[in-house]
Amino acid sequence: MVEILIDEDACVGCGSCVDDCPNDVYKMNEEKWKTEVVNLEDCMACLSCHEICPAQAMEHRDIHVAKRLYIDRKVTDVLEKII
Amino acid sequence: MNMEIEDIRGTFKPETIPKETTGDINDYEEALHVLMKFVGYMSSSLEQVSGRGANAIVYQAGKRMGHDAGKMVEKTDDLEKAMNELSEILGIEFVFEMWKPSGQEDYTIEKGDETIVKLLFMDCVVRQTLRRTGLPQKGPLCYLLYGYMVGAVEEVMSIKGKLDIDHVGSNACLKTLTIKWGGK
Repeated sequence: MVEILIDEDACVGCGSCVDDCPNDVYKMNEEKWKTEVVNLEDCMACLSCHEICPAQAMEHRDIHVAKRLYIDRKVTDVLEKII
Repeated sequence: MNMEIEDIRGTFKPETIPKETTGDINDYEEALHVLMKFVGYMSSSLEQVSGRGANAIVYQAGKRMGHDAGKMVEKTDDLEKAMNELSEILGIEFVFEMWKPSGQEDYTIEKGDETIVKLLFMDCVVRQTLRRTGLPQKGPLCYLLYGYMVGAVEEVMSIKGKLDIDHVGSNACLKTLTIKWGGK
């Protein structure tokens, strides 16, 4: 079962995830002005919300994580040396 | 950049069937990345030259692939069975499952002479390629998968089908497969 954690300290309340989610998993809590999960069972773990969130305030647990064949290990090796 | 290229020397006879490939996993990885880049650039160039016609070309290529893949599956009229079998045939590079919103009872919806099913593509080589080359989703290359699924379904079920993109994400894409009963 998918679990979504929202870091309320990080969430800036921009509502991007609410607008972007095709299955209305999120809703804006108008008192706190933070995103909250209201429809967890319809989350299909597309992770569009992660892509759009400017604050990286989300965490999805227990999902199928797609393969990342596109990652060029030579580039990441170089980046690791620099960073 | 210094690159050491290993010189593989041996004997080659035309009648010898090689039992295994040379090279290791790094060679495969490198070949995969070169292919991803090649396909990505080809897709964007096609779009530049042919505009929206690029979609049709890639769709047709995917459809041929799908028809070939579908030949390996037993023919059936049962959409759910066809989807399960295709999921095995299309393999680990196109991992998908049927999906339904929580309020919907069955995976399939019957609408007149059409049956509709939502498919969630979790692993997809097309998406990997797009991310490798920095191309946006929903472009011509996504039509490869569109054609692939339609071709495979047409082959297995001998009906007409279409696949619409509902939503694309970095980890999964939701598509709607509509099949029209009544033959080709």
